[in-house]
Amino acid sequence: MDMVSVCKTDEVAPGTSLRVEIDGLPPLAVFNVDDEFFVIDDTCTHGDASLCDGEIEDGQVECPWHNARFCIKTGKALTFPAVVPQKTYVVRVLDGTVHIEKND
Amino acid sequence: MTDRFHIKLAGGNVAFDCASDDTLLRGGLRQGLGLAYECNVGACGSCKFDLVDGEVDDLFPAAPGLKPKERERGKRLACQCVPRSDCTIKIRSGEEYVSDHVPRKMQARLIAKRALTHDISEFSFATGEAAQFLPGQYALLRLEGIGQARAYSMSNLANADGTWQFIIRKVPAGIVSNALFDTLQVGSELELDGPYGIAYLRPQIPRPIVCIAGGSGLAPVLSIIRGTRDAGGLRGIPQLLYGGRGPGDIPDIAAMLSVSGVEAGIHPVVSMPELAPVAAWSGDVGFVHEFVPKKLGQPLTAYEYYLAGPPPMIEACVRMLVAEHNVPSTQIHFDRFF
Repeated sequence: MDMVSVCKTDEVAPGTSLRVEIDGLPPLAVFNVDDEFFVIDDTCTHGDASLCDGEIEDGQVECPWHNARFCIKTGKALTFPAVVPQKTYVVRVLDGTVHIEKND
Repeated sequence: MTDRFHIKLAGGNVAFDCASDDTLLRGGLRQGLGLAYECNVGACGSCKFDLVDGEVDDLFPAAPGLKPKERERGKRLACQCVPRSDCTIKIRSGEEYVSDHVPRKMQARLIAKRALTHDISEFSFATGEAAQFLPGQYALLRLEGIGQARAYSMSNLANADGTWQFIIRKVPAGIVSNALFDTLQVGSELELDGPYGIAYLRPQIPRPIVCIAGGSGLAPVLSIIRGTRDAGGLRGIPQLLYGGRGPGDIPDIAAMLSVSGVEAGIHPVVSMPELAPVAAWSGDVGFVHEFVPKKLGQPLTAYEYYLAGPPPMIEACVRMLVAEHNVPSTQIHFDRFF
């Protein structure tokens, strides 16, 4: 199992997100929800928009284009027009760095 | 007095001229730009934009397509804003929003009205120039004295005679539909602005076509099915699933299509058979999306889908197709009017 370093924890304040591009992966969205870190695909499964431009509330992110909401923890599509979940990643925080497990 | 203003798209060299009585969205589309949109009437929010510089008037500040929070942050709807000065705007765009036929405003004369059910009628209009649109597109109809235009899909095909046909449902509290049904007489004129819409027939895609519709959503899918006649290379007979509340809500679709010489599999479904006006209903009962897997012979991923109808129907169909049957959402076409 490869671990990939994504960003430093202090780059993502609680209640915010950070868009990260890494070779070989789709654009990622890192969320800090009450000091817990979550990583999901950044591009909405419905339209071509960045979830990092969306509003974060109650552990959910709302796509800035068509207002579909996703659960940040599970990636589940909660409201139309999105019906496909966002891909989620297994996160490990080590020494102030957010890592994800890369399956391939 | 109509002025023209220069509208720049932020982050590039693209710009267009927009009349002071035209919305930013339509002004851009008229000049061949692919500004993102769907409904054109303030409901879907797809055309939201940021005003970077300049001044606009918002014709519909209560439009449901934006949440109050988005308005607080300065978001606006391009389909509801007219320019008051030169502007710079930040808006999404894409190739799929560029129409084959740029929309134009025309005077249209009502030439015929024909009842199809107790509350749905076919309206035929004539314009002085050819009717140019893709099967599945819509136009905005605006009546003198009624500010907001309404979007109605064409049910016929593009033609040189300038005939535009619409299938319109009389909505109990609908100002425009009531005026169309009750006030507008044959010979009267209104403004027709179009074509618009991205749920048009993709004739280059060879997958067999499935149309799912309810209510006045019949119009665009009839146009799409009629359009398959001229689109060589489409495999199989198009299938149409049409949902209504009671048996009286189901028009004689077979007769309408046979006049055009098009073959289609027609599957009416009613959700409230007890509304039967005359004879009892012996057909399918339920919601139209439930019958899609039962009526089609192949795995659902084998088809191209065109949807039109009430929002709950659209949502139920998309959930069923994508979440339960893994149909790629790129194979499902509809204009979201919600």
